[in-house]
Amino acid sequence: MSKKSNIVWRLLRRNISVGQIAGYALANLVGLAIVLTAIQFYRDVTSVWDDEDSFISEDYIIISKKVSGLGSLMGGGGNATRFSEEELVDIASRPWARKVGRFNSAAFNVYAKVSFGGSSMGSDLFLESIPDDFFDVSPKGWDYEPGKSEFVPVIISKDYLSLYNFGFATSRGMPQVSEEVIGMVPLQFSLSGNGRQEWVNARIVGFSSRLNTIAVPEEFMDWANKEFSSAAPELPSRLIVMLDKPGDPEVESYLEEHDYETAGDRAANGKAAYFLSLVTSVVIAVGLVISLLAFFILLLSIYLLLQKNSEKINQLMQLGYSPRQVARYYHIIIICVNFAVLLVALAAMLTASHYWREPLSTLGVDPTAPWLTIGIGAGIVLLITAGNLTAVSRAVRKRFYV
Amino acid sequence: MIEEITMQHVLPRVFLGSEHESPVKDSELWLKPEVVFSRGRYYLIEAESGTGKSSLCSYIYGLRRDYDGYILIDGKDVKYFSIDRWCELRRRGIAYLPQEMRLFPELTVMENIEIKNRLTSYKSEKEIMEFLERLEIAHKADVPAGRLSVGQQQRVAIIRALCQPFDFLLIDEPVSHLDSRNNQIVASLIDEEAKKTGAGIIATSVGNKIQLPEYKLMRL
Repeated sequence: MSKKSNIVWRLLRRNISVGQIAGYALANLVGLAIVLTAIQFYRDVTSVWDDEDSFISEDYIIISKKVSGLGSLMGGGGNATRFSEEELVDIASRPWARKVGRFNSAAFNVYAKVSFGGSSMGSDLFLESIPDDFFDVSPKGWDYEPGKSEFVPVIISKDYLSLYNFGFATSRGMPQVSEEVIGMVPLQFSLSGNGRQEWVNARIVGFSSRLNTIAVPEEFMDWANKEFSSAAPELPSRLIVMLDKPGDPEVESYLEEHDYETAGDRAANGKAAYFLSLVTSVVIAVGLVISLLAFFILLLSIYLLLQKNSEKINQLMQLGYSPRQVARYYHIIIICVNFAVLLVALAAMLTASHYWREPLSTLGVDPTAPWLTIGIGAGIVLLITAGNLTAVSRAVRKRFYV
Repeated sequence: MIEEITMQHVLPRVFLGSEHESPVKDSELWLKPEVVFSRGRYYLIEAESGTGKSSLCSYIYGLRRDYDGYILIDGKDVKYFSIDRWCELRRRGIAYLPQEMRLFPELTVMENIEIKNRLTSYKSEKEIMEFLERLEIAHKADVPAGRLSVGQQQRVAIIRALCQPFDFLLIDEPVSHLDSRNNQIVASLIDEEAKKTGAGIIATSVGNKIQLPEYKLMRL
């Protein structure tokens, strides 16, 4: 049977231009490799968004109102810098704001004391709390239950530690301390207000690079505010907002419009992420255009081949061969070429990703598995193949009647 | 099984406007209300060149549709046949020898026959060799068809046409390039094959007529 089918194959494979097919394969290979590599690169780099403490973090911004010199001096309880309920609702309703958290500040006095070796030192302090979802760290011992927990867990900004270690300690000749050492230092908070005073134990359990504050659990804050303050809960003067899309330019214009300020350089990171997704889209688009052009090259090449073999194809059908039987041979060529292109493009993508994996992993980024990218590649090739096959079938059928 | 091929008012479109001139005026086929070809009977259509005999064959075989009127196979208008139906007919119902033979010049004689026979699996290789021997071209079996003389090609094409079951054999000038002796050999072979299944034969000729035992002569 195989020998017999070779007769038709031998007839039809005449005029196949190896150069054209190779040209197509190369063009499609380049296009596909670009698309797949870009997708995989984007996925690998953005996988850091899943990491909490990462350089392109899922973007959070902390917004506050601008402090005008006079307003704060005139007093008025700082109401000018607080967000009203309407403003809160408005911010939360923006499409770019996925989640909005309030900074609750303590409505009582806090005095903190550190004692070691008989001597002690202390300072007045402020405390704030935000919902747990907004923390970039979730340290052990963060859970707090009023009356039951041994100590109040505290998270402070990493910047404070840096300030001490690299600014204060080096200039004063004092020892530098690590995060672990700080965690072991016993603290005592004196909470007072509403005619009452109480000492509680506290401990620094974590350091945040997102939050520029001294944070305690919301449970503690709620309890303490109730105990040591008679005033109604105050409106927040700082908000933390989880953005829907990093670096959305809408955010900036909104903040400008309402005269709000953002803290930290998160927005800059967000811009980097936004830029990355923009560049990736452009690269993917270029790759897709190349692939699309390649698709037409193959189509033209096959049309040309069909044209050259037009007489033979018609003759075969005159003998009783169905268009399907004739087209089958061209289908086999297309499937083989496209499949080979897919394999080589995937190999190229995997090889390329090998080169960026190491530098990325030193940044603490775990590269993603390539399955989705492979799936996308297979999908694109399937689409191209289906397009080619249909076009060939139609072209062959057209030659049925002279 | 095809019993009848019927033509009703058939006229090639090239003759539109010249219905009252020859060759259409004198034709026994064109524009006639009903011409019937029946299974088991032989027809010889005699024509001068340019009267449309190859067109007639192409219409009946489903290769071309540039005609007015109706061609019916067992009462069904062939213009509505699907491509699949035509493929089936060309493998099982109607065998066709085109005037220009249409062999593949780059394939050998045997391959040219095999390319049809592998579709139908109708003849064994031994039977095909016997045909070749009978038509005195067995020694050319492995020679590319393009290197054969026209007369030899004609005989190869005849054998290829016979490599399928058929109810009608459509042969367009089958012996135009054959001498009288070969004409006789081809005629008896065709007659034998047709008799085996009770098939009908429609043959055309511009001069050299195939020497079938008995036939109805029609003038195109």
